[in-house]
Amino acid sequence: MASSQFTVASPPTDAISALRFSPNPESTRIVASSWDKNVYLYDLRDENGAVGEGKLLQKFEHRAPVLDVCFGATEDEIYTAGLDWDVRKIDIASSTQTVLSTHEAGVRSVVYSKEHNLVISASWDSTLHVHHTNDPATAPAVIPLSSKPFSVSLTATKLVVAMASRALHIYDLKALALLSAQSEGEGSNKIEVEPWQRRESSLKFMTRSVACMPDDAGYASSSIEGRVAVEWFDPSAESQARKYAFKCHRQTADDIDVVYPVNALAFHPVHGTFASGGGDGVVALWDGIAKRRIRQYQKYPSSVAAVDFSGNGKYLAIAISPGFEDGKDDVVEGAVKIFVRELGETEAKGKGAK
Amino acid sequence: MGKKRRGPSLEELLARPWCYYCERDFDDLKILISHQKAKHFKCERCGRRLNTAGGLSVHMSQVHKEQLSTVDNALPNRSSLDVEIFGMEGVPEDIIQTHNQRVLTQFQQAEAERQAETGNPPAGAGAGGQPAKKPKLESVSDLKKRLAEHKAKKAEALAGGSSGEATPVGAGQTPTPGYVNATHSPARRQPAVLIPQPYGTASPYPQTASPVYPSFSPGAQQQFSAPPQYNAGYSPQPFAGSTPGQPYGATAPAFPPQQPQTHTPPQSTGAFPPRSGSLPTPPNLPQRPAMPAPPVNAYQMQQMHMGHAPPANGEQPPPPQQQQQQPTEATPIAASVDDLISGAAKQAEAGAGEKPKGEEKKKDKSKQGRLVYSDNETSPEEKMARLARYAYEPDRRGETALEEVPAAAVVGTIRETDTVVDATGS
Repeated sequence: MASSQFTVASPPTDAISALRFSPNPESTRIVASSWDKNVYLYDLRDENGAVGEGKLLQKFEHRAPVLDVCFGATEDEIYTAGLDWDVRKIDIASSTQTVLSTHEAGVRSVVYSKEHNLVISASWDSTLHVHHTNDPATAPAVIPLSSKPFSVSLTATKLVVAMASRALHIYDLKALALLSAQSEGEGSNKIEVEPWQRRESSLKFMTRSVACMPDDAGYASSSIEGRVAVEWFDPSAESQARKYAFKCHRQTADDIDVVYPVNALAFHPVHGTFASGGGDGVVALWDGIAKRRIRQYQKYPSSVAAVDFSGNGKYLAIAISPGFEDGKDDVVEGAVKIFVRELGETEAKGKGAK
Repeated sequence: MGKKRRGPSLEELLARPWCYYCERDFDDLKILISHQKAKHFKCERCGRRLNTAGGLSVHMSQVHKEQLSTVDNALPNRSSLDVEIFGMEGVPEDIIQTHNQRVLTQFQQAEAERQAETGNPPAGAGAGGQPAKKPKLESVSDLKKRLAEHKAKKAEALAGGSSGEATPVGAGQTPTPGYVNATHSPARRQPAVLIPQPYGTASPYPQTASPVYPSFSPGAQQQFSAPPQYNAGYSPQPFAGSTPGQPYGATAPAFPPQQPQTHTPPQSTGAFPPRSGSLPTPPNLPQRPAMPAPPVNAYQMQQMHMGHAPPANGEQPPPPQQQQQQPTEATPIAASVDDLISGAAKQAEAGAGEKPKGEEKKKDKSKQGRLVYSDNETSPEEKMARLARYAYEPDRRGETALEEVPAAAVVGTIRETDTVVDATGS
C-alpha cells in the first residue's frame, strides 16, 4: 500500500453518491452526499493544521437520499440535490436548509457557477432549474431537456449536460444566465433555451459521468461500458478531429472481458489531467492531451462511486461504495469509505506527448 | 521393466524445486523462477516482473512512489521482504528442513495409504510380507438397513415374488458339507429360513451343479443362501490371506450382519471369477443404495477400475462391488459414468461461461465482453432510487416549513375520519 493514502474518519453509512472538494485552493474541506440521506462535511486538517484522516465537521440530514452536492460561493455554503425532488441550499455556519426549488422527480445533479452566480440542478423530470443566487426571492427558470440528465459539469463559460439516449447538450452559461433572468417576470418560468451545441455522445452506451476541462477547452465523458471519451468544445472540424475515446476499467477473466462502468471523472485543476473511477474499484490518472495513462492505483475493495481533486490539486479524494452497479446489494457496514490520496508534486502531471 | 511406476520416489520429491512464498513445488527451477516473477514479484501497477522482492520494492518506490510492504500471494508468514529469494536461493535453512520434513511425511502417508489400499508391498520390498489390508467396515445402520431390505426381498421370494422367478439360472448351487452346519448356526438366522427351499423344493433355485464354483450363485437368491456356503469355502477368520480365489466375495453385499468384524469383503473381490453373461440386473438394483461403500474406497476403487475420477456432480458413484458383481453391466456403467463426467464437464463449462452473474453478454469487437451494468436506459441511481429502502415518504417525520407537508397532513386526517366511519358502519 502506498503510504500517501489515508481514509477519512466517520464515513457515511450507505453508498456515497457524490464527493466534492472545496474549490478554495487552501481548503481541505470535503462534502459527500450519501444514500443514507445525509450530507457530510469533513475537514482533512485537524486542529493543528496537519492533514490526516480529518474529522467530520457536520452532518446535514435530508428527507431522502441525497444524490449530489456542491460548494457554493464560499466554503460555508453548499447546495444539495436529492430524491425528495428538492434543491437545497445549506448554510453551514447556521446549519439552515433552504429549499430553492422542487422538481417533479428526483434531482440527479447540482452545480454552482461562481462566474455567473448560478445554481443549476438537473432532474430526472428532464428539466434543468436555473437559480440566481444573488436574487433568491425569484423562482428558478425551468429549462426542458430532451432526455433524462445523468451528469452535469460546467466550466467558467459552458455547461455540459449528459443525458439518456446518448444525448449531450452544451449550454453557454452567459446566454443561459441572461435568458433565465429575463423570464423571471413572467408567470411561467418555463423557458425554451436552445443549447449552444447538441451532440450525440461518442460512446455507444449510457453516459455515466461527464467532467469539463479546467481550461475550458473540452470535456471528458464516460459510459457504463468501460470507456472514456475526450472531446473539445470548439466546433471546428480541426478540433473535432481531435476527439477520441479509449477503453478502461476492464478485467479479463477466462477469456471474457468484464466491463465495468466508469462511475466518476474529475479533472486536476492545475495539470489538466483527469482521474477516472470505475466499478472495478480502480482509479486511474490520465493525460487527456497526450492520450496516455499516467498511473493506475491499487484496486479498492469496492466500486468507486466518486472522485475529486482538491482545489490546489494536492489531494485526490476517492469515495468507494459497494453494489453501486446493480443497485441491489445491501451495503455492508464499513464497506463505504472515503480515501484521500496525497499526490506527489508531479504525480498527476502529464508526461507530455511521446 | 514390468512393474508399473506408481509415482515419484522420495528422492525425486525432495529434489523438486519449490517456492518459498507459497510452498508450491515445480518440475524445474526455470518454472519456479517464472512462477515467482509472475506471482510474487510482479508490479501491480504496471505489470512489470522483477527478479526479487527487493527489486520490486525498489521499482515500486522509484517508479510508482509507493512502498511495498509485503510480497503478493505469499503464505501469511512468508510475505516478508526481508528474505531475499531467487528461485531456491536464499531460502533459510530451517524453512528448507521444515519443507523436507513435510514432503517426507506426505510421502510416507501416501505410501502407507496405497499399501493399505492395494495390498501391494511397499516399493522396493519383496513380495514376501502380507501387508495388512485396510478393513472395510460397514456402519451398523447400513447393515441394519440392508438386513431389512434383505428380509423384505426374502419375504417376497417366499411369497412367490417376481424377483425369485425372474432370476435366471446363471449358476447353480451344490450342497456342501458345511451347508448343513450352517443351517444350524444360530448366527445364520436368515439363511436358515430360506435354506430348506433349495433342497426341499428346489423351485427358485435350479440346482445345476457347478463344479468349478460350487458355492457360487448369483442374483438375489444367492444372497440368502450364500452365507452357509461360505462355510464350505472359507472360514471367516483367515480367509483374507488363505483363500484368494474363493468366490465368497461375490456375495459381499449379502453378508449377514453378524460378521462385519471378521469380514473384509470388497478388496478381495478382485479375485472373483467372471460370471456368465446372463446375470440379471433387476434383483440387484434395488440394493444399491443399501450398500454404499465407504466413500474413500469407492473413490479409489473407481479410479483403479475406471481409470478416472468419479463424476464430480454429487451423484454417488456406483459402489465398486456391484461393478464386479455384474460384469455384464460394466460397460453400461462405464458409459454412464463417462456420460456423467462429460455432462459435468459441460455443466462446468456452461457455469464458467455464465459465471459472472449470468448477466447479459455483449460483443465488443472480437473480444467477448460482459457489462457489469448493462441497462442502457436506466441509470444505476434510478434503479437504486426505486428500492424500497430509499423510497421517499413526504410526511414521514413531519417536516417543517414545506408546502406539501400541511397538505399531506390534511389528507391524512380526512382519511382517518373515513376509516372511523367505516369501522362503525361495519
